Amino acid sequence: MMHFRHLRTMLCAAVLAAVTVPAHAQLTIDMTKPSFEPVPIAIVDFAGDPMGAQIAEVIRNDLQNCGLFRSISPGSFIERNVNANAAPRFADWRGIGAQGLVVGQIAQVGGNIKVDFRLWDVVVGQQATGLSFNSQPSNWRRLGHIIADAVYKRVTGEEGYFDTRIAYVSETGPVNNRTKRIAIMDQDGANNRYITDGRAPAITPRFSPTLQEIVYMAYADNNSPPKVYLQNVDSGRRELLGNFPGMSFAPRFSPDGTKVAMSLSKDGNTDLYEMDLRGQNLRRLTNTAAIDTSPSYSPDGTQIVFNSDRGGSQQLYVMSAGGGGEKRISFGDGRYATPVWSPRGDYIAFTKIMGSSFGIGVMRPDGSGERLLANGFLVEGPTWAPNGRVLMYFQQQPNSSGGAASLRQIDITGRFGRQVPTPTSASDPAWSPLIPQ
Amino acid sequence: MKILSRPLLVLALTWPSLAAAQSGNVYIEDRLNQLQQTITMMTGQLEQLQYQNQQLQQQMEKMRTDYDFRIDQLEKGGKGGPRPAGPGPAGPSASPPTAPGSQAANTSTASADQLYHAAFKMMQDGNYAGAEKDFRTFLQRYPKHVLAGNAQYWLGETYYARRDYQNAMTAFAEGYKVYKTSPKGPDNLLKLGITLAVLGRKSDACAVFSRFTQDYPHATDLQKRRVDQERQRNGCG
Amino acid sequence: MRTMKALAAGAVLILMAACSNSQQAAVPASTTVTPGSVADFKQNVGDRVYFDTDMSGVRADGRATLDKQATWLKQYTNYPITIEGKCDERGTREYNLALGERRANAVKQYLVAQGIPASRIQTISYGKERPEVVGSDEGAWARNRVGITVLQQ
Repeated sequence: MMHFRHLRTMLCAAVLAAVTVPAHAQLTIDMTKPSFEPVPIAIVDFAGDPMGAQIAEVIRNDLQNCGLFRSISPGSFIERNVNANAAPRFADWRGIGAQGLVVGQIAQVGGNIKVDFRLWDVVVGQQATGLSFNSQPSNWRRLGHIIADAVYKRVTGEEGYFDTRIAYVSETGPVNNRTKRIAIMDQDGANNRYITDGRAPAITPRFSPTLQEIVYMAYADNNSPPKVYLQNVDSGRRELLGNFPGMSFAPRFSPDGTKVAMSLSKDGNTDLYEMDLRGQNLRRLTNTAAIDTSPSYSPDGTQIVFNSDRGGSQQLYVMSAGGGGEKRISFGDGRYATPVWSPRGDYIAFTKIMGSSFGIGVMRPDGSGERLLANGFLVEGPTWAPNGRVLMYFQQQPNSSGGAASLRQIDITGRFGRQVPTPTSASDPAWSPLIPQ
Repeated sequence: MKILSRPLLVLALTWPSLAAAQSGNVYIEDRLNQLQQTITMMTGQLEQLQYQNQQLQQQMEKMRTDYDFRIDQLEKGGKGGPRPAGPGPAGPSASPPTAPGSQAANTSTASADQLYHAAFKMMQDGNYAGAEKDFRTFLQRYPKHVLAGNAQYWLGETYYARRDYQNAMTAFAEGYKVYKTSPKGPDNLLKLGITLAVLGRKSDACAVFSRFTQDYPHATDLQKRRVDQERQRNGCG
Repeated sequence: MRTMKALAAGAVLILMAACSNSQQAAVPASTTVTPGSVADFKQNVGDRVYFDTDMSGVRADGRATLDKQATWLKQYTNYPITIEGKCDERGTREYNLALGERRANAVKQYLVAQGIPASRIQTISYGKERPEVVGSDEGAWARNRVGITVLQQ
């Protein structure tokens, strides 16, 4: 169990004073450049506690997996026993081709641990950044992610996304009678746990902005239509969101977490509604004879992009968050689905259905600049990392080959794709915001 | 079909036979579905037409500004010359003299836009020196232009991207002073604080962040969150 | 003239009911099923109708099946009905949930128009979550775009 409130008080970060005078460092990546080499970086096992090797491994994995770094194998390190509080022997690190060097020191302070880390710019021989943390020992994985985020931010100029979680649908059993459970894991696949029991299928999870709740759609044990539920992640307590006669589905939190937009179906017709979580009152957002679903708020909460077939095929539309002013934004070939507004506001990611294949793409909120990043027999459901520069989605095999699904990650340049490890077949990923510190 | 529907409906309501009522229901259901399909089809066609219309308008607007420019050049005895707002603005003799804030600003909107977008394109391509030069030219010529606040902000960004934090700070500070109410105002203030923090002037940075709420009560949640994060990061009280 | 037509329609319905009864006797496999049972409904009436890609209109072949269902359901009134709407795997999850609901509802509206009380019919959509047929060719997809009339016992 993760206790966010404890973390808030227990995880204190401070900026470490530089050992040498900082100057303009060379250790940078411009992610928008059309091509570049991953930055070779050496991450030394943190000194002072056996936990230090594990923390270093978390950092290595994060940085290696994001595609922008190449983690140099510790076996090739020349300088051993690096002192975290003194300048390293830069020549030794240049000798193995490192441009960045991460060192750290762990100390026991009462029941807590104090972790100091520094990122050295090996090329110019200076400290690039340094931070000190105070935390419970059980938070060691998170400390690794937070340090990896700091390195990522220092080198790319973008916020990191390693200290985050993924909610997804774990799928087991045969295609025509599959068990679908909501699971949550750390962004790197650690700490996987299930939050629904799998008796009735549950799909389409989404995090609240604080990560304390998720919303999802689940079938009931009896034959009644599936409904949207709100569940507290730690306590497991869940509540039905509103009580309507028909099906409710496709829930999404508003950016401030006070509202949930979702689809309600009545007499075969599906419209979008918004529920205020405080008063549980319901407001209608669309009113057409068409299917209106898959809503997604803009990060400032003033607009909603959604999926509708009002014009005869699935397309993307943007409207005011209170409803009204609907405007179609997708005009390319094929059908468009599952639009998701980037947390930065600069792009909308979507699923595209083109004859015999599916694609994942991005466009600007006015519909211009459409770009496809991935495609396959069935790829679906993009979700944004909190920095708005990386996407996750799922890829599914044809049902004839067992219909196994897996999570995949890709950056918005389309350069770095990789499969995200999950214990079971997995679909419908939802990327959390950065975990509150 | 239209003539049929009314008698059938009446029949369905008055005729006691269940079978008749049922076939009437099916018929009405069918008609409704057909109508719905027609509306859907027309909605799609309308959307497509609106889109095409908008594309055409944009194209025509582009062509019009191009004609205007060429005619303008011809009338001045020029040679029709290169298109405006290439990289590096033409000398003062080639560009129409503009009095800042006068109605001339209106007639020169097209070339102002082009200059801005050329600068912005350079910024996106990573040509920060070129972008700096063009944003400066833009600000000199069109200080009252609707995009002037944006240009000032991006000017700061050209320095920030090159880690020239001193000049970045000056540019963002200027942006805050002169273009406080520009749409880029909140971003500008945020970036000013961040730059101060990078320069090690934490207390100044905190002072800047503390102005954010009162100056920009309608900033987006994202911007507010960013400010909160920066305040925390810099240990502002 | 309209009267004639209506009468004719009624006659057809009665004839069809008769047909389905005589069919029972004619098909050897169905001699083991009890008339009025769930097996009777599935085998001798047909419990499902199919849809075209992305469509939710009941096709002509589906109408014939639903006409038979209505006749049977009026004879055996003890079953509440749930209509399940489903889709093939060539669509996105959420849209397919809505499309399945639309298909289930098209079946329901047809049966209601044929005189089955709406209160007797529930609908549920499984979207692409629970395919009827495992396969990834047009043959399998065609059979997964389906509305199934399920008798509750």
